Formats: sequence, C-alpha cells, structure tokens
Amino acid sequence: MSDRMNNVISNVVIETIEKLVFMFASPYDPENSTGEDPGTGVSVSFKGPFSGTLGMKVSGEVLSEIAANMLGVDDEGEITIEDKKDALKETINIICGNILPAIAGKQAVFDIDAPEIIKEGEDIKGNDGEELVSDLKFSLDEGRCDLVLFIKGKIPELDE
Amino acid sequence: MALNILVVDDSAVMRKMIIKTMGMCGLPIGEIKQAKNGMEGLKKLEKNWIDIVMLDINMPVMNGEEMIDEMLKDPEIKNIPVIVISTEGSSTRIDRLKKKGAGFIKKPFTPEMIRDTIYELTGVGEDDE
Repeated sequence: MSDRMNNVISNVVIETIEKLVFMFASPYDPENSTGEDPGTGVSVSFKGPFSGTLGMKVSGEVLSEIAANMLGVDDEGEITIEDKKDALKETINIICGNILPAIAGKQAVFDIDAPEIIKEGEDIKGNDGEELVSDLKFSLDEGRCDLVLFIKGKIPELDE
Repeated sequence: MALNILVVDDSAVMRKMIIKTMGMCGLPIGEIKQAKNGMEGLKKLEKNWIDIVMLDINMPVMNGEEMIDEMLKDPEIKNIPVIVISTEGSSTRIDRLKKKGAGFIKKPFTPEMIRDTIYELTGVGEDDE
C-alpha cells in the first residue's frame, strides 16, 4: 500500500465528508475515540482504466448523523432505516466519484455501479482479481468510519 | 419570477438534500416536482410547466444523459435549462454534457454553487421576486 495513495484518498474523504454532511473527519485515533466499532457497510464497484471496489463501514452514530445532516432534520425519529441506507449509498458514491479523478486523473472515464449495502457482520471484499491498495480508518465526530479500496489492473502512480 | 423546478435523482435522500439546499440559495422557488429516473422525468415535463431541471446522471431505467438526449429531440422541452448534479469526475464526460447545453455541479455541492449555476443558465438570481 502506498503512503501517497493513502494520503490522496484520506484528503478526499475528509474534504468530501465535511462538505457533504458537515462532519469533521480525521485519521482514527483509538485513544481519543469513544465510538463503537463500525457495523453498517456499503460498497461500490467501478470500471475504467482500472477496475475496483470501494467499501466503507460506519458506526451507528455516524450513520444516523450522516442521514440527519443530509436530510436537514434534528429529530432522528423522523429518519427511517431506508433513509439511512440511501444516505450511506450516496455518501460512498460521492466519495468514489471524487477519489477516482484524484488517483487516475481528470481525463479518465469510469463507470460507477450502483452502491450496495453490506450485511451486518460481513467483511468488505473486492471482486475477483482485485487487490487491497488502501485501508484507512477515520474518526468522524465521536464515531468511526473505515474505508478500503481494492483495485484490479495497473495501479496509478500519483504525482508528487 | 418564481422558478418551477424538476429534481431528477434515484436517491430520495439526495432529492431532499437538493431541495433543501435550493431553499437556502435565496432564489425565488415556485413548485418543485420530483422524479427518480429520466423516464419519470420526461413524463413530469409533459404534464408540468418546468423552468429548470436538476438532473443526476447515474440512474436506473433511463440515465441523465439519455434524458437530455430525449429532451433535445422534443421542440416543446428542448430549451428548458438543465443542470446536471453528479458525482461524475471525468472532464471528458463533463465536457460532453456541457456541449449538450447542460450546466454542471459536482457533488458535494454548496448553496452558492447552485445559485450561481442557475443564474448563469436562467439569469434568475437572488434579487428576482
């Protein structure tokens, strides 16, 4: 796993989360986190100059806050399970759409599949032939978000 | 002039988010209609007076670019301004959409991005009543 790849992805995730759901993300610090382990997961596959899968798992409080902030509601009772899943799918879709040009260049054309929710307790896996190239953990407010990227094909070399 | 707006996105949460953000732009908003794919969007355009379409690209049944292509074939609706709001990051695809006359906003977006793009395409801004 390349440090440069991790840095690029980390910066994109932090910026996207902040702009999209107004949550402050930072690299995970276990000593300063009171949050539960991530449980709810989502993944999205893509094809283009290289193919791959981006997966994300978040803890319960993060999932609720993402949905509440996207919908602009204060009362979490107004948010359905479907809203939460939909919000998580949109979040990974947007993160993926921002990571790909950052690592492959703005000219590269990718087709991004519809995101899929991963069953509770299941690990996020890449498709056949895809290799893990990034495995990052973030603190989001008091919760946690884990992100993995699998790639098949030539892994892009990032500029300095 | 209040703008009647059609929001086309397969995500109900994203449609609500776009509508909420448009409400923060200070623009005169009239009626808001929603559709969850391009096919539904075209049906809404047949039945309603719409001033601007806010359109996602990756959707099932009929995607956003296909909807733009269908709109351009129909003299009744081909001049309705379209703003694509998408995760699309490829400048190749974005340029292709712009050549078809669409504005483009990349997700995640801000109220200012929506306000400025609507102004560019329609000339309607915060000062219009």
